Amino acid sequence: MIEKSAAIDRTATVLLLLGMAFVLAPLVIAFVTATQSYQQFVQAGGIRFRIGGHFLDNIRLIVTETQLPRQLWNSFVISLLVAAIKCAFAFAATFALVFFDSRMNRAIFAVTIATVMLPLELVVITTYQIVANVLMPVNWFVEATGLDWLAGSIAGVRVPELRLSLLDTHIGVAAPIATSCTSVFIYRQFFLTLPRDLPRSAAMDGAGPLHFMVDILLPLSWTPLIATFMFWFIGGWTSYLWPLIAASTPDAQPAVVGLAKLATTDPERIPNVPMLMTGALFVSIIPVTLIAVMQRQIVRGMNLSEK
Amino acid sequence: MTANEIRLDRVGKSFGKTEVIPELTAEIAAGEFTVILGPSGCGKSTLLNMIAGLERVSRGRIFIGEQEVQDVEPKDRGCAMVFQNYALYPHMSVAGNIGYSLKVARVPRPDRERRVRAAAESVGLSGSLERRPSELSGGQRQRVAIARAIVREPQVLLFDEPLSNLDAQLRHDMRMELNGLHVRIGATTVFVTHDQVEAMTLADRVLILNKGRVEQFASPHEIYHRPATTFVAGFIGTPAMNLIDVIGDGKCLRLADGTEVAPHGRTGPAVLGIRPERIGIGNGAIASEVIYREDLGSHTSLVVRLGGGTEINVATPIGTELADLDRFNLSFSENGLHLFDAANGLRL
Repeated sequence: MIEKSAAIDRTATVLLLLGMAFVLAPLVIAFVTATQSYQQFVQAGGIRFRIGGHFLDNIRLIVTETQLPRQLWNSFVISLLVAAIKCAFAFAATFALVFFDSRMNRAIFAVTIATVMLPLELVVITTYQIVANVLMPVNWFVEATGLDWLAGSIAGVRVPELRLSLLDTHIGVAAPIATSCTSVFIYRQFFLTLPRDLPRSAAMDGAGPLHFMVDILLPLSWTPLIATFMFWFIGGWTSYLWPLIAASTPDAQPAVVGLAKLATTDPERIPNVPMLMTGALFVSIIPVTLIAVMQRQIVRGMNLSEK
Repeated sequence: MTANEIRLDRVGKSFGKTEVIPELTAEIAAGEFTVILGPSGCGKSTLLNMIAGLERVSRGRIFIGEQEVQDVEPKDRGCAMVFQNYALYPHMSVAGNIGYSLKVARVPRPDRERRVRAAAESVGLSGSLERRPSELSGGQRQRVAIARAIVREPQVLLFDEPLSNLDAQLRHDMRMELNGLHVRIGATTVFVTHDQVEAMTLADRVLILNKGRVEQFASPHEIYHRPATTFVAGFIGTPAMNLIDVIGDGKCLRLADGTEVAPHGRTGPAVLGIRPERIGIGNGAIASEVIYREDLGSHTSLVVRLGGGTEINVATPIGTELADLDRFNLSFSENGLHLFDAANGLRL
């Protein structure tokens, strides 16, 4: 329903302005604080709405004195991995669900939904154990099948307990975050809008399922793929709990974790809030730029009906 | 180009408990243009998909040439198909669409480009090779779909209601072109449609399908002039043939109320078929009452009620002026009569 009336227009404008003020106020406070020096902040005795001239000094402080630049790179790699893994798995899974007629489809779909309903926070301890030694299942297998005993009795050597820890690595931080298939729903809706004869036509042209997926489905799916990629990239960027657990050294931590650690370096001192605010702005710069650049693609990808 | 015959040997298809095609045997000669005609839901598209390999057979065997193909992948059957909604790849150019099958088959680029150009030329698309399907009209998209099918030089060409999305004029033009194309490339062609005009004009032979069973498989002429069953008689021709329940007494056929309609040696109940244009008006002994009349300019079309309540269609010969009467006496032209068994609908 589209109504056109001056009264509705005015009301809507006022409501939107209020909403904007509500959303933007913290950002404005952060920015204003970031322009003050530590002395100004301490003298004022808290956050004051006053623009100081020290924004560039604060930036310099962040770049030279903290680990944030390096951690920004960590964040970038981790978020790329999260988004790429999520999109690749969801795309392949949706392809299988939509274009293959299997009796297992219902079960597969149920498992897919289960990953959405089991957030990482719920299974964080077991996830930690697995990431700390990804070869654990192999050890279990060796033990359970009696291979261990067999090697012991024949060669006289025990199979060594295998260890491979992914803690403090990019993939170790990224992979558990990436295990969710929310995009399956979005891709599924999109695939169902494609002509029904398209896969049949490809089959007549001699293209097997993989050819069809790569040559035809993938190029047609760029819009939803890019939109979901952006979402998961930002999701990876802002995730906090798991990176905090999985990355224990500052060198391996992503920027969001590093930022939080900055606040708690010395309990005796008043925290350097202007520097923290500058750091927050510094950390947000990449996702904000991405959204600004990709705005149109994101909206187009989400709005499937308008294709 | 070589062409292969297609043999369907007791082919059947069921979806779960629904039996779409019980058991079908037919032989399509090499290079023949066969149209599969039937009402919607009669299993004609399923039959085509089984020949193409897009649908597995539940029972029976399919041969293309000497090869038994029911378990062979679509790409290895030597078939190409044109779909109802064209199913072009939207992100590829016309040349890309036509050449995709060759690309998958790893035909070297120069050879590929030559064949794409030749295929595009044969359907009159040489000028738009670099355009996208979305920039083309319906008729042009249809041509791309046809070029895509013939570029691989298939032995069997399959069409799934390819003209149903075009307007009447374009449909007529495409019929002519398809005919020319078939003569040029000579592939065995199977064309599925529910439009009897397409079937009658294009086909060497028409396979009429009803509820998964072959009602008749014969030339258009034969189908029109000697329908094998009441279903075919009622399905072919516009308006369709009149089918009238009659009873034979050994000397002549009578309507339910005893009116004598035609001399015949049959005894017992039967179904009499006569086309509307074979009924003479004003000179016979069969009384009728006009229910509805349409003046079409070239001729007049009537719906009349016979004694006993049967309603039939009557068409006057072209150019006749018909008196404005409520009742006419009709005569049934003797060489226009078709007689069918009342029980199983087969021609007698």
